[in-house]
Amino acid sequence: MSKLIIRYLAFSVITFFILLSCNKSSQTPSGIVRFDVQHKANGSTLELNKLIYTNAAGNQYMVTEVQWFVSKVKLQKSDGSTFVLKNGEPIYFDTGIPATLSQSFDKVPAGSYTGISFIFGLDETQNKSLRFTNPPESFMFWPDYLGGGYHYMKLNGKWLNVNGLIEPFNFHLGIGQIYDTIAPKSAWVNMNDCCKSARHCEGYQPPQKTMPITGFVQNYFEVSLPLAFTIEENKTQSLNLQMNIEQWFKEPHIYDHNHWGGSIMQQQAAMKAGCDNGHNVFTLSIPR
Amino acid sequence: MCLLYQYPAEVKLFQVAALSLIILFSGCKDNPTDYWKPTPYQLSIPFGFPTKLNIPDDNPLTVEGIELGRYLFYDGRLTGRTHPDSLMSCATCHIQANGFEAGINHPRFQGGFVHGITGIPTRHIMLPLVNLVWNHSGYGWNGFIWPDNPNINLRNIEDFVRVAVMAEDEMSADTTRVKQIFQQLKGYPELFYKAFGSDKITFRNIERAIAQFVRTLISANSRFDKYLRGEVQLNPSELRGFVLFTTEEGADCFHCHGGGGNPLFTTHLFYNNGKDTVFDNLHDRYYITGNPLHTGAFKAPSLRNIAVTAPYMHDGRFSSLDEVIDFYSTGVKYSSYIDPLMHHVLRGGVRLTPSQKNDLKAFLNTLTDLDFLINPAFARPEKFPDQQ
Ligand code: HEC
Ligand code: HEC
Ligand SMILES: [Cu+2]
Repeated sequence: MSKLIIRYLAFSVITFFILLSCNKSSQTPSGIVRFDVQHKANGSTLELNKLIYTNAAGNQYMVTEVQWFVSKVKLQKSDGSTFVLKNGEPIYFDTGIPATLSQSFDKVPAGSYTGISFIFGLDETQNKSLRFTNPPESFMFWPDYLGGGYHYMKLNGKWLNVNGLIEPFNFHLGIGQIYDTIAPKSAWVNMNDCCKSARHCEGYQPPQKTMPITGFVQNYFEVSLPLAFTIEENKTQSLNLQMNIEQWFKEPHIYDHNHWGGSIMQQQAAMKAGCDNGHNVFTLSIPR
Repeated sequence: MCLLYQYPAEVKLFQVAALSLIILFSGCKDNPTDYWKPTPYQLSIPFGFPTKLNIPDDNPLTVEGIELGRYLFYDGRLTGRTHPDSLMSCATCHIQANGFEAGINHPRFQGGFVHGITGIPTRHIMLPLVNLVWNHSGYGWNGFIWPDNPNINLRNIEDFVRVAVMAEDEMSADTTRVKQIFQQLKGYPELFYKAFGSDKITFRNIERAIAQFVRTLISANSRFDKYLRGEVQLNPSELRGFVLFTTEEGADCFHCHGGGGNPLFTTHLFYNNGKDTVFDNLHDRYYITGNPLHTGAFKAPSLRNIAVTAPYMHDGRFSSLDEVIDFYSTGVKYSSYIDPLMHHVLRGGVRLTPSQKNDLKAFLNTLTDLDFLINPAFARPEKFPDQQ
């Protein structure tokens, strides 16, 4: 009999503690942050497939689609601490998939914040081949031979070239390569240096057109966007994250499609210019 | 810690529940006829493949459904007719050895250009039946069957079965006659019972069974797959071809046709790849979306088993891989509809040297999956249920 009572007692004490701890965790008040992503050109909403824009180099251009990743998104609290969204996982945006352009994240601690920061693209700890096997993210894969992982961004479009023809461009950013410019064309790629990110690409040889690759460049960069906002308990705070397309081609480098041509995945200098310009591409605001 | 202490009570409850379930089931076991329970079929996801599958909730894969589907896929009486001259099955056109396309060497359809039972040619040439369970964006060259289609009768492979059976340029059959015929064939009603719990054959269940079988047609064991898994090494020419395939300054195929990071070798998306300057095919992607930008766009098919699926392109204009490679190399034509991913267009293409063309072809050949092409689970059954 007494045994039973003790059991009963133990049970209720334990239950009490469990309830207590539950209470405690739900007491940390949290809210939801929603990112509404907008693509803009020269201050107004980007109109796809229309040859109506002119970049800093004077190229008339249109955009057909924009697909991109940010990762390690951090919300900065006024007290100096940070809250990392989605455990730092990459987040994907796509002009062709409306659902990606408005994404909510819950369990954000309530309080006042001073801004956000993120990595544009994926850094070396995250940019691993086959980490995404499902579309649409998997369609962003960056070939292992070129460094592996994923495109940070595909910004596709067309521009009016010097000959007056409308030519396609693929402004694709990702891991860059260092080519051995003085090696004879017949030289083979050093297998150890090539494609460290994926085991299955040992043994590659370069295609005849490209020079041997001796190393890779991580082109991702960090963006900080100051903005005062508050997360209130159980409420949604939306933030407008804006990509200003013209900025990709503007500062500090004037990016001329006639100079770089339609494809840049194997032109580190072009990707470097693009990524340098990327620091000024984003703005963050509270919707009115 | 606390949870650990609490566990036993739950475990006990669980035991009681489990026990009663066991009693329940063992009761049924003695009397199988009034207890219908098909065996769930578990697809395993090959290395590097997507985990999200396109399987409708109302048609889960079962061992019994797939078995029945295989019979029906190969049974020429699916035309609703029994006269030997009036038989046609899915497999009349979709031939396993040719990646489930007709193939350029087809005995009945010259050059691989198929026509229906009454002689009417199909709108487009064949598409392979391979890894379709991973296609979420549209079946058919223009994607006229897709999951979110407002027309609920054109959403998935089930619907493709009905279209194929009824279409004038395919089996030109009457679905009522079809189900009546199978109802009368010994063995079939029993298989329908095992698969769907009713021996009264409905056309819906015919669709379901065939769709289940088609979803199991998975190719994931080509030389390239083995290479991706680290089991074999490709030879130097194949490796050079792979590099060409996945580099912009090489052959630049990967943006649309996949590669190491997308072993489906397709995005299942629609592009205008620059074959023409005038677009007069009425059933292109524009026909489905009404968006003029999609003029002349078609699905980029999977390149798996591409060596055995000639002729190529929606209209079968190329009869060999060499012709396809020549096209991408120097034959690309400019139009305002061309997809931006064809950014080499003003040079006429990617301009490969003869040895690069060979390397690229060597790589494409590594996508041939012999295991798939001869897998007995996908082959014509030796006997149909009424012949056993
Ligand atoms: C007369 C030859 C013929 C027969 C018989 C036939 N098909 Fe097809 N099948 C085709 C052609 C041609 C296409 C390409 C259709 C298009 O998009 O225009 C096709 C496409 C398909 C597709 C779409 C594949 C993809 O990647 O989108 C599926 C699924 C399919 N068939 C299943 C079947 C089934 C199941 C049967 C039997 C019920 C069948 N077919 C019978 C010729 C045939
Ligand atoms: C812009 C996207 C795109 C690029 C880049 C591209 N393709 Fe295609 N490919 C397509 C589309 C779309 C089709 C189908 C077109 C049609 O039938 O009208 C196709 C068809 C094919 C076919 C015929 C498939 C079949 O079953 O009939 C082969 C083979 C092929 N491509 C190989 C290649 C190779 C090799 C490369 C690189 C040199 C390449 N493709 C680059 C989009 C592309
Ligand atoms: Cu790219």
